[in-house]
Amino acid sequence: MIEQAWLIPLFPVISFLIILLFGKRMKEGGGYVAVAFVGLSMLVSLLTIRDVFSVGRYESEGISWLGSEAFRFGFLIDPLAAVMLFVVSFVGFLIVVYSLGYMHGDPGVQRYYAEISLFIASMLALIIANNLVFLFISWELVGLCSYLLIGFWYRKPSAASAAKKAFLVTRVGDIMLLAGILVLYAKFGTLNLSELFELAPSAAPATLTLASLLLFGGAVGKSAQFPLHVWLPDAMEGPTTVSALIHAATMVKAGVYLVARAYPLFTPESLFVVAWIGGITALMAATMAVVMTDLKRVIAYSTVSHLGFMTLALGVGGYAAGVFHLLNHSFFKALLFLSAGAVIHAVHSQDIRDMGGLWKRMPITGTAFFIGAWSLSGLPPWSGFWSKDDILAAVYGYSTPLFIIAAFAALLSAVYISRLFFIVFTGKESEAVKHAHEAPRVMTVPLMILSLGALFSGFVRFAGFEEFVLNTLPAELAEHFAAHEGGHGFVMSLSIALAALGIVLTGITYYKPVLSAEKIRTTFKPLHTLLIDRYYLDHIYLFFATKVVKDTSTVINAIDAYFIDGLVNGIGKATAKAGEVMRRIQTGITQDYASWLLLGASLLLIIARLTGGAA
Amino acid sequence: MSVTVFHYVFLATVLFSIGAYGLLSSRNAVRMLMSIELMLNAANINLVAFSSYLGNLSGQAFAAFTIAIAAAEAGVGMAILLALYRNFRTVNLREIKELRW
Repeated sequence: MIEQAWLIPLFPVISFLIILLFGKRMKEGGGYVAVAFVGLSMLVSLLTIRDVFSVGRYESEGISWLGSEAFRFGFLIDPLAAVMLFVVSFVGFLIVVYSLGYMHGDPGVQRYYAEISLFIASMLALIIANNLVFLFISWELVGLCSYLLIGFWYRKPSAASAAKKAFLVTRVGDIMLLAGILVLYAKFGTLNLSELFELAPSAAPATLTLASLLLFGGAVGKSAQFPLHVWLPDAMEGPTTVSALIHAATMVKAGVYLVARAYPLFTPESLFVVAWIGGITALMAATMAVVMTDLKRVIAYSTVSHLGFMTLALGVGGYAAGVFHLLNHSFFKALLFLSAGAVIHAVHSQDIRDMGGLWKRMPITGTAFFIGAWSLSGLPPWSGFWSKDDILAAVYGYSTPLFIIAAFAALLSAVYISRLFFIVFTGKESEAVKHAHEAPRVMTVPLMILSLGALFSGFVRFAGFEEFVLNTLPAELAEHFAAHEGGHGFVMSLSIALAALGIVLTGITYYKPVLSAEKIRTTFKPLHTLLIDRYYLDHIYLFFATKVVKDTSTVINAIDAYFIDGLVNGIGKATAKAGEVMRRIQTGITQDYASWLLLGASLLLIIARLTGGAA
Repeated sequence: MSVTVFHYVFLATVLFSIGAYGLLSSRNAVRMLMSIELMLNAANINLVAFSSYLGNLSGQAFAAFTIAIAAAEAGVGMAILLALYRNFRTVNLREIKELRW
């Protein structure tokens, strides 16, 4: 099936077109069509992935666009693409099924299924693209779908502005990605990934560093890395299924995927930057996740933090560890979001202060959330533990300060997720919770399947996942990075101890209140304010946007309005005035014209006589 | 005193000047057309005179063409004048200023 891999993005495109044209007249706004086609796409993906195990790698001839060899678009399937294909098509399918329950009765449900189909199609195209321009087109399309779906409830001002914010902030990264692509084309004259990887070792390191850092700039925007992470928490204004699919499991992974995809282009210098950005993001987002009170926002900051972990892993050379975490994170984070969605669906609030004691009311959702939280917290033996451990081991060999940062972020992961669990599911039942009841079957079944994924995806590590993923890289690179990996007794015990410590600390604060959360808040008042205000980054950006940009624009606008426009209007007016004067020549009297004619002819004769030229 | 080329050129100049004067001073369109004929014929005299003086026949051929074209021009001009007269009931070109700004 690997040669027919182009079918994978095609099915959701068909579903998009059908729902766009006929969705209004269909049951559930075409939801069943979306399920069917995304399901078909998943089937083809799975068959393709099966072939990857035997073939290893396949690149199609491609079709040349605009008659240019630089724009020869084909698809490239290798182990990395296979992992990502699995995540996107499988999680995507489950989430579309879940949507049947979650979006039931929404007036815009047809639009929802059309946009989600388009999103899945572009995301799958992004994964299998073998050409950077093809990848960029898909990259922009997923960005567009993200914008549309964040602003799905566009009548809500906060949703509309969150969509705009996401679009504009990621745009900063997209421009850098485009610049990176241009640098690569100027240097190598090709945009085909395989050809680039072949040519890369012979290029000057400075050029490669520049190009790879620009590509990473795109990843920073898309994967919500510091300092462009500000859009992701706001993106939670969209439906929870969108948060789960786009802003947890798939699109935000596109940045990490891009770094992994273009890995042979990265030099040690640019990887150093990648590692530090990842580390800073992991820690910063984790600290903010600890204090937020919006259920989805906590999970969103946790997503940012874990994307930071993946970036960090890739930066320190833990290639397989980063991809491994990408796989695991997709499962447990989609699971957390979907169970959070079920909670929000039942309680009609996103504020965790309204919640409590939900465990008894929603046992299946609670269990699902518990499994997701356990996996994320990094306690063995579920998936999050294995990948986080691999990442920490890779960082340990790279740099001690980064290791401390990563370890602290890991501790905080356990803190914020157990805090969420204790507040929402244990304790006294609050007023809002009294009427909550378990979600319908169509929502709980995807939760159960994802739970299985979150529990067991970690064990692929013991089935040769590392060697499989490293096959993506050219042989000598693969060998180089394989050396970094492998379990490390000290790191593993430290990671377990930190996770346990985090959970115990949260437990004695929220479950059995030995420590008072209120007291901790007041003791660390300035720190708490700093975190609640998100390190004032949003304020700085807002200041930049409203003051600096606006004032500059005002000045430039004045120049335009008075100088440029004055110039243009002046020329127009002068012409009109001149015409006013000159048209008096046209008297309409025949003799006047005849006089001018004679005068002119005489003048010509006289001139000819004087210069002596006519004779 | 024999007739030299100078006499012909002088005659032509006089004719041309009369024509130019008539063209610029008269208000009646018919007279203007007649003046134009005078100027054309002045040019013809010049052509024939120089042709004879230089012993080159092409000047006379030119004159024959000019006469034919002058006839056509006079015909077209008269037709336009008739149309003008029908529309404006006058052939005084000072009064016909429809094409003015």
